[in-house]
Amino acid sequence: MKILFRNGLLFDGRTLSGGKTDVLAEDGVISRIGTGLDDNGANEIYDLSDLIISPGFIDLHCHLRDPGQEWREDLLSGSRAGAAGGFSTLVCMPNTDPPVDNAALIRYLLEKGEECDGSRVVPAGCLSRERAGNNLAEMGKMAIAGAVLFTDDGSPVSNTNLLRLALQYSSRLGVRIMEHPEDRSLTLGAQVNDGICSTISGLKGWPSSAEASDIFRGASLSMDTGVPIHFTHVSTKESMNAMRISKASGCTVTCDVTPHHLCLVENMVISGGYDGVFKVNPPLRSVQDVDALWEGIRDGTVDAIATDHAPYHMDEKDLPFQESAFGIASLECAVAAILHEWKRRKDLCTLEKLLSLFTSGPASLLPEKWRTLGVIAEGSPADLTVIDPDFERVVDVSKWESKARSTPWNGRTLKGWPVMTVVRGKVAYKMPDHLSRVK
Amino acid sequence: MEWKQRHVLDLDTWKREELHYILEQTSSMDELLDRPIKKVPALRGKLVVNLFFEPSTRTRVSFELAEKFLSADVVNWSASGSSIGKGETLRDTAWTLEAMGADAVVIRHGAVGAADYLARKLKKSVVFNGGDGAHSHPTQALLDLYTAWKKIGSLERKKIVMIGDVLHSRVARSDIIGFSKMGSRVVLSGPPTLMPRSVDALGATYDPDPRSAVKGADIIYLLRIQRERQDEGMFPSLDEYHQIFGANESLLKLAGADTIVMHPGPVNRGVEIASNVADGSQSMILGQVRSGVALRMALLFVCLGGVRQ
Ligand SMILES: [Zn+2]
Repeated sequence: MKILFRNGLLFDGRTLSGGKTDVLAEDGVISRIGTGLDDNGANEIYDLSDLIISPGFIDLHCHLRDPGQEWREDLLSGSRAGAAGGFSTLVCMPNTDPPVDNAALIRYLLEKGEECDGSRVVPAGCLSRERAGNNLAEMGKMAIAGAVLFTDDGSPVSNTNLLRLALQYSSRLGVRIMEHPEDRSLTLGAQVNDGICSTISGLKGWPSSAEASDIFRGASLSMDTGVPIHFTHVSTKESMNAMRISKASGCTVTCDVTPHHLCLVENMVISGGYDGVFKVNPPLRSVQDVDALWEGIRDGTVDAIATDHAPYHMDEKDLPFQESAFGIASLECAVAAILHEWKRRKDLCTLEKLLSLFTSGPASLLPEKWRTLGVIAEGSPADLTVIDPDFERVVDVSKWESKARSTPWNGRTLKGWPVMTVVRGKVAYKMPDHLSRVK
Repeated sequence: MEWKQRHVLDLDTWKREELHYILEQTSSMDELLDRPIKKVPALRGKLVVNLFFEPSTRTRVSFELAEKFLSADVVNWSASGSSIGKGETLRDTAWTLEAMGADAVVIRHGAVGAADYLARKLKKSVVFNGGDGAHSHPTQALLDLYTAWKKIGSLERKKIVMIGDVLHSRVARSDIIGFSKMGSRVVLSGPPTLMPRSVDALGATYDPDPRSAVKGADIIYLLRIQRERQDEGMFPSLDEYHQIFGANESLLKLAGADTIVMHPGPVNRGVEIASNVADGSQSMILGQVRSGVALRMALLFVCLGGVRQ
């Protein structure tokens, strides 16, 4: 199987080159990169003039709800949603039912993932047994089986000793620990950002300190053990400062931010009439917080953008705000939302910087064997994402591959979309009537 | 004036003229309450459902009296706990009520945004928010405005000092909006742990010391202190609360002889208010209760397009 992509603007994972480049994918591997490549024997040829060809986007954090909550999402719907959203690789979170806390479930997800025709799916395993926060899960066995991260996401690891032990124990496994930063004693019953939104709504406030204090705690443990730690869905100015201070003092800490925290603000909860679609953990934050996250992208404090795609059934979301479930589904519009917002913020960072947070950034946080996913180079896997930076389209959640039927972006026109996703050398998604297939 | 508010969810979308209009309408209803026969046929043939998910005798009875004085057909639909706990979702309840032909639904619910949610789901019925979580209680605010307006006249450039648990109070949130729109200045006081984070976003200011806050106050408005806040550790004891933040005669003296005292009820005597203040000559507490019926009559009448006789 040979696919030739002609005339694309090449982003290789780090730099965006101005000229037109051809990329040849052969049997799942990138075999040639150059100009005017010979199309001899290519099964398919696409003309990517004015489009960006990038390493396939990687989502470090999404909830595919498999096993056990398939009414919300499953591996197949999630994988297809991922491809439609421009992601060639999804890291699925282990807060399922049962939780993914053992090697058998890691193997189940990898095997079932192989059968899916959308994004590549790689699993994260629980840090603690039964995700109960008491004892270490069998991280060694899960690492051998193919787990790519360890996390109790959905919950923080509140027991500081357990988090320290997990860092020590995982040090030789080459699999990173991901912490969902939240001090639960500060967020009990909390619903929205502690600030304007909590003041006006009367909903209990979720203070920024609940997140930043957990980042400082984790950074301190990372310093102590010498083992890296990753913080996911970091959402406030204070947290960005915590990351900056920790990085500057030599801690091996990294973080990701989500599209909703980069594009939406707490006031939307009020202007949206307390619609559960705006309810998420951590909550939508202030304008100053959103600005600080973009500043973190600009100055390199942010290491990746991850969706935290959290699909629910409408019966769990279409409720009065306080009863609605925490979570925003975004897989199929996350990249577009980011590109749109980036343009709105005019040159706040380079496009290269932004694209790296979907590619080389997240790839560098995965185990060694997956790091070539983040680059386009001869010999690297043929996982590719094609971007049309000028294409405009309205988000229509009713047509999603995902089982989610609500998203804050529904009905909004976004500019800048992924138009093709290639996984293992095969076209996993192509926007209808968009790209010209030459052959 | 042409009435534009379809539902009554919160006062944040109201203009001052609309507030004034309702106060004047309330005034005529108030006169009606003095008549030997209080019932008028204004809402004959209209079905009003009182949908109460939280126990609230005062608000429910006040609405019910208002509805009955206007000759509406009244159904009390009480449901305890959350809609989830009850097994039926609020969405299904909403559609059931509409199918039954409800012209208006009064909803009291523990969850913030429940009234907004109901209004989104109902195509025809008018929704009256009877209190949603700690968010909003517009009819309480309107009856408070009416009570104050009736007693002291124009509310422009008046000083309202609100003391107590602002953080958990829907009454406070709605009253701050209402009094501010009428041109009054609202000063909040009480323990810092019971204040919302961004007081300025409410358009109010905060003075932690009630003794300095009440100087020059036209109205002292006391908020109910729930015992569970002490259990949650938000202040050390009810006794300490009363000593520092409770309204007693010495606090009232600092304010002045013309200052009026208001409270949304039910009153915790000896906590947020001393008995001799609650029952004293400056207290408007019983006036508020009476205003509540008149205000709700006016609101139902205006929003349901009742015919003036
Ligand atoms: Zn999380």
